[in-house]
Amino acid sequence: MYKFIGVRPCTFVYILLMVLTVFTWYVGVSGLSGLSFAFLVLGLSLLKGHLIGDYYMGLKTVSGIWGWVIVIWLILPGSLIAIAFYSAS
Amino acid sequence: MKNRNTPPGDLAIWIFIMAELSVFAIFFAVYAFTRANNVELFNESQLTLDRNLALINTLTLITSSYFVVRAVAAIRENNAKHCFNWIIAALLMGLLFLLVKSYEYNHHYSEGINLRTNKFYMFYFSLTFFHFMHVLMGMVILAANAIKTRAGNYTPENHTGLETGASYWHMVDMVWIILFPLIYVMR
Repeated sequence: MYKFIGVRPCTFVYILLMVLTVFTWYVGVSGLSGLSFAFLVLGLSLLKGHLIGDYYMGLKTVSGIWGWVIVIWLILPGSLIAIAFYSAS
Repeated sequence: MKNRNTPPGDLAIWIFIMAELSVFAIFFAVYAFTRANNVELFNESQLTLDRNLALINTLTLITSSYFVVRAVAAIRENNAKHCFNWIIAALLMGLLFLLVKSYEYNHHYSEGINLRTNKFYMFYFSLTFFHFMHVLMGMVILAANAIKTRAGNYTPENHTGLETGASYWHMVDMVWIILFPLIYVMR
C-alpha cells in the first residue's frame, strides 16, 4: 500500500507518534504515577520505537535478522527498565 | 512484504547504529537500577524538570524524522529539489531541538544545578548531553546529504548515502523516544 486515500503510510505513523507523545506528556504533567502508568508509558514508547524502526528506518521490508534488530534492541532495555521499576515498587 | 535482506543504507552504519544503541541500552538500564535504590531522590528531582520543553523537543525530533522520510521518498520519486527542501526542514528541526535543550541546560546551571548535585542530575546531564552530541553529529551527516543532493549526486537508483544518513537520524530520534519517558515521565 503506497498511499491510502492520498495519504502516505509514513504520514499516518507520524500522526500516531505525535498523539502517543502528547499522551505520554499528559501522564507526566497530570502527576499520574505508579507501576501501572510507568509500564503503560514504557509500553507506548517501545511501540513508538517499533513504528520508527518499521516505517521510518524501512525495516518493515527487510527479511531475516536485520528486520528484527530494532525490535530486539527495544526488548532488551525495555525489559531491564521494567524489571528495575518493578523491583523498586 | 519483505523484499530485501539488508537494511536501507550502508551496512557499516547499521553496525555503528547497533553499537550506539547498545551503549544507550546500558545507560538506560543503569539509570533504572540506580533509581530503584534511590526512588524518592529520583522522583523529587524529576519534578524540577520542564516536561513542556521535553514535549516540544520530542515532537520536534519526531517531526524532523518524518521530514527525513519524506526526503528519501522524494529522491526515490526523482525529485531532488523536494528532497533538498525536506532535508533542510529536518535540519531546522534539529537546530530547534538543540536550542531548546541548551535553554534547559542554561536554566539548570543558573539555579546551581549540575552534574554533582545528586545522582539523578548526574544521569540527567550525562544521558541527555550524550544524546545532544548525537543530534549534533546527525545534523552534520544530514548537512552533507543536503550538499550532495544539491550537487545532484543522488538518483532514484543510487541514493545509499542519503539512506545511510537517514538511518542514523532515525536512530537519534528513537533513542530520545525512550529517553523522554524514562527521565521526564516514569515515576
